[in-house]
Amino acid sequence: MVRCVRILLPLLGLLLGLSLAAQTSFSVSGYVKDAATGETLIGANVYIKETMKGSSSNTFGYFVLNLSPGPHTIVMSFVGYEDDVRTIDLKEDIKLTFEARTKAIVAKEFEVLGEKGKDNTENTQMGTIDVDVQKLSTLPALFGEVDILKTIQFLPGVKSNGEGNSGFYVRGGGPDQNLILLDDATVYNASHLFGFFSVFNADAVKNIELIKGGMPANYGGRISSVLDITMKEGNEKQIHGQGGIGLIASRLTLEGPLVKDKASFIVSGRRTYVDVLAKPFIKPGSAFGGSGYYFYDLNAKANYRLSDKDRFYLSGYFGRDVFNFVGSDPGDPKFRIPWGNSTLAARWNHVFGPKLFLNTTATYSDYKFLFDATQDQFSFKLFSGIRDVGLKVDLSHYPTARHSLKYGGQYIFHNYTTSTVTVASGDTEFDIATPPKLYAHETALYAMDDFDLTDDLRINAGVRLSTFTHVGPYDRYILDENGRSTGVTNFKNGEKVAGYARLEPRFSLRYRIDKNSSVKASFNQGQQYVHLATFSSVALPTDVWIPSSSNVKPQVGTQYAAGYYRDFKDHLFETSVEGYYKDFQNLIEYAEGAQPQNNGNTNYDAQLVYGTGYSYGAEFFVKKRTGKLNGWFGYTWSKTMRQFPDINQGREFASRWDRRHDLSLVLAYEPGKRWSFGATFVYATGQAVTLPVNRYFIEGRLVSEFTDRNGYRMAAFHRLDLAATLSNKTTKTKKDKATGDVTTVQKRWRSSWTFGVYNAYNRMNPYFIFFDAAGNPADGDFQVLAKQVSLFSVLPSVTWNFKF
Amino acid sequence: MKRLIPPALLMTVLLTACEKDITVDLPTTEPRLVVEGTIETGQPPFILLTRTQSYFAPTSVQSLSDIYVTDGVMTIFDGVTTHTLDKLCSGSLTEEQLQLAAEATGIDINLLRQVNICAWTKLDGTLLGEVGRTYRLDIQADGKSISSTTTIPSVIALDSLWFKLAEQDPGDDSLGLVWARLADPDTLGNAYRWFAKRLNAGPDGQPKDDPFIAPLFSVFEDKFVNGLTFDFNFVRGSQAFSSADDDNNAESGLFKRGDTVAVKFVSLGNKEFEFYNSFANNVASAGDLFSNPANAVGNIEGGLGIWAGYAASLDTVICVP
Repeated sequence: MVRCVRILLPLLGLLLGLSLAAQTSFSVSGYVKDAATGETLIGANVYIKETMKGSSSNTFGYFVLNLSPGPHTIVMSFVGYEDDVRTIDLKEDIKLTFEARTKAIVAKEFEVLGEKGKDNTENTQMGTIDVDVQKLSTLPALFGEVDILKTIQFLPGVKSNGEGNSGFYVRGGGPDQNLILLDDATVYNASHLFGFFSVFNADAVKNIELIKGGMPANYGGRISSVLDITMKEGNEKQIHGQGGIGLIASRLTLEGPLVKDKASFIVSGRRTYVDVLAKPFIKPGSAFGGSGYYFYDLNAKANYRLSDKDRFYLSGYFGRDVFNFVGSDPGDPKFRIPWGNSTLAARWNHVFGPKLFLNTTATYSDYKFLFDATQDQFSFKLFSGIRDVGLKVDLSHYPTARHSLKYGGQYIFHNYTTSTVTVASGDTEFDIATPPKLYAHETALYAMDDFDLTDDLRINAGVRLSTFTHVGPYDRYILDENGRSTGVTNFKNGEKVAGYARLEPRFSLRYRIDKNSSVKASFNQGQQYVHLATFSSVALPTDVWIPSSSNVKPQVGTQYAAGYYRDFKDHLFETSVEGYYKDFQNLIEYAEGAQPQNNGNTNYDAQLVYGTGYSYGAEFFVKKRTGKLNGWFGYTWSKTMRQFPDINQGREFASRWDRRHDLSLVLAYEPGKRWSFGATFVYATGQAVTLPVNRYFIEGRLVSEFTDRNGYRMAAFHRLDLAATLSNKTTKTKKDKATGDVTTVQKRWRSSWTFGVYNAYNRMNPYFIFFDAAGNPADGDFQVLAKQVSLFSVLPSVTWNFKF
Repeated sequence: MKRLIPPALLMTVLLTACEKDITVDLPTTEPRLVVEGTIETGQPPFILLTRTQSYFAPTSVQSLSDIYVTDGVMTIFDGVTTHTLDKLCSGSLTEEQLQLAAEATGIDINLLRQVNICAWTKLDGTLLGEVGRTYRLDIQADGKSISSTTTIPSVIALDSLWFKLAEQDPGDDSLGLVWARLADPDTLGNAYRWFAKRLNAGPDGQPKDDPFIAPLFSVFEDKFVNGLTFDFNFVRGSQAFSSADDDNNAESGLFKRGDTVAVKFVSLGNKEFEFYNSFANNVASAGDLFSNPANAVGNIEGGLGIWAGYAASLDTVICVP
């Protein structure tokens, strides 16, 4: 790695220096916005008609073109919007604002994956996919709840954690290796209800970008992928609302101007009501009387444009899951399990000049989990959490036509509450002195340049310097060979416990073969200083985030990828083949037989074991971008393995998210103006699970002997979901009383019904397998049965959505 | 201490899952030897030797008899002398002796009658468990040599025992739990196991329990309670696969007003604690997707199971609230 950096850095400087001295040019810069709502548009193409060269708008809708003096025809193009063509005679730096108008044709609604005009064969980024959230509502969804994370699972290289789960796994990486950002604030647990729903309310989200390979240097801290979610800013022109009533949850969103064309807001809420609906049907005396579950979300964002040069944003998310269990008998245990995320992001955009764009973000993220149980006179509390406060400065610099630079820095102060347990019997509080908090500083500096070396060869080279320092106050137990504490080392407030500093090289290139095809290759290495330790085989809110320490080394991910991209029929069809190899170092797992309650009176990392992993695969993707029938097909062949000296007797084993074959098909069809149809189909190799191979008896009880970790494959997973949406008429006739003229006007109020069928052919997909022993060995009628549990049979749903 | 209900229950509350029987094709492996042996203060050693079998092996009497090892040589070295153990097999016992064997071991009498089950012990009284002594067990059977060592720690007796109503059903004034008070010594590393049996007669005129029964979750260590004096309870254990009425009705897990309960409270070593702890988790979580699959971690070199030294103390309580 060190050698790469040595070569990379001078190269970067050399190229920069050369081109900066090149020629005089003027810039055309500005914003691309939706004319109707004032929302900035991300990823709109702005290019010169004659040469077809240009750039696209950034996350804040800002773009810059560096051009030679003289006349130019500039085109703004964005799928679903009319092209905007301007002719200019360039004599100085100028500003342009494009107010894009939506196309009148209805086809827009049904571009499932808003292509945003981004040309897949053009940019250097690999494995990057944008999803336009507003276009997901016509796809089938579990219980009719549109879920952006589940849509991502349909993309090649992205795997789900099984039935109904919103957790996702990218190219063999674990769930903790995805950096999930909501307006630049980290979201640590992106799921509700044990993963069945994601925390992102689609009504409040504007754009999603998933980077699964070739992560550019401005992102870091995770080694598998980045999911960058941008919340809507709110309509600048007038008050609008939208919402929906579904089987299990309802949503309401309001947006509008605070100061017309200057400031706007959006507020969006969602709550499930299974608990309210179920209550009348649960008898007070029954086993589940008094139990309940619900979750809610609240998203809010406001922004204010001080001038053409300065804009402020404030956005936040708050969500909670609450589960209550009260047994029917006084002696039964009682639980209360609340958990959830909060995030807050304050941003300031500043344009220093046409060529330098600054974004500064202050972020706050908080994830909390509590398990509170009482039974008889025992009370048991387990809580964990993580809280981050961070500051990030990103500069986008467009010095010449050939270069697009980004550089900046980031600082995060982490505050971890690792799994902390309190146990009491009556008034006796048991002595469980776990370290209540862990503190760490994480910093990063990065620089990258996206530049054209020749007309056909574009390179993105970057480097990220990251550091992580675990600091006191901290008490580290000194343990003997039996894991018993023999003393404590005290670290004072701010004293360094462990520290790491690493360079992360990032490199990708695109070579254009012709107008419609290109090849790309990338190499990148990342460091990850936080780890998710899980006691179970599914994502549970009990999963604990822990920092790197003297024992827990930072995770290192190295990825090599190459691909071929080709468009057909004037970009109507897009195809790609990508291959990758990925290597993981310093992965963590809990030791076999580790239990959460054993985390007391010892170091938080005492039950962990360390290992490595690798993954390689090939991904095939075909997409039809527009038309009455559009959608995509993805197929991935991959292999993902892990090796831990202390697990599986040191032998290599298949990762939990190893799926040899993974196939998905997403289709949208719109025959007329009012009806639209969506269908999705998935197929995946069965999940690798650990099953007992042998049995024996101790004190007459059946004991299972496990031999190979993840040595058994459950049956393959496949499912077809269907949806049909009926929209009300978008226009109405109006009769002028005075003249008697009848005119057709657009309705302000829009509504639609979405009817869905989940698991249309009622496939009993395995969720887990368990063994049930019955009979008595002494009577000779003893037998062990294997049982497979499937979660969802065919499930119809209906959702009513409205907009005004 | 009761085990908290696994989160699997949460799922079933919220979702209606479908379940079906499936056939699972598992690899076959060579059977391994399983030791189930104890040496208790003042008592001779007692060892059963079995084999593992395929998870879905047939369950006929023949198949069951295959798991019991009837041929083998066992020796125990107590630091001074090497004792060769005596083998007792149910196939050579009279009906009266079978009754006694069933009571002493807790093995079902029908099983003892149908299957030749052997146990190893020392009949002449020359090898009785002593506090502080280390015992090395060597076994030759099935062409394999396996071994283990265990040490009997100091006896730590309970301060007191009492009965307290559980009130699981409103107004119920007969069922409850036996509570105990323990003063844990101020040295870290103590571990305990709980056994109990009801001495009074049941409806059939026989004592309600024959041998001491440990509940499935029967061990705890002093990691969180070091040096403390505290109260605790254990549920009433039942024999594996029990079909007794009181193990399958409201009385399950509880004692009843009027029961005379003998409690055997033993101190045991760290490895022995680890075994019974991991054994209980293994038995309880068979196939539970919410737990990481984990083997019971024993102390037998070359085999599975446990060789445990117990420092036992006995006490009795009459169940009156």
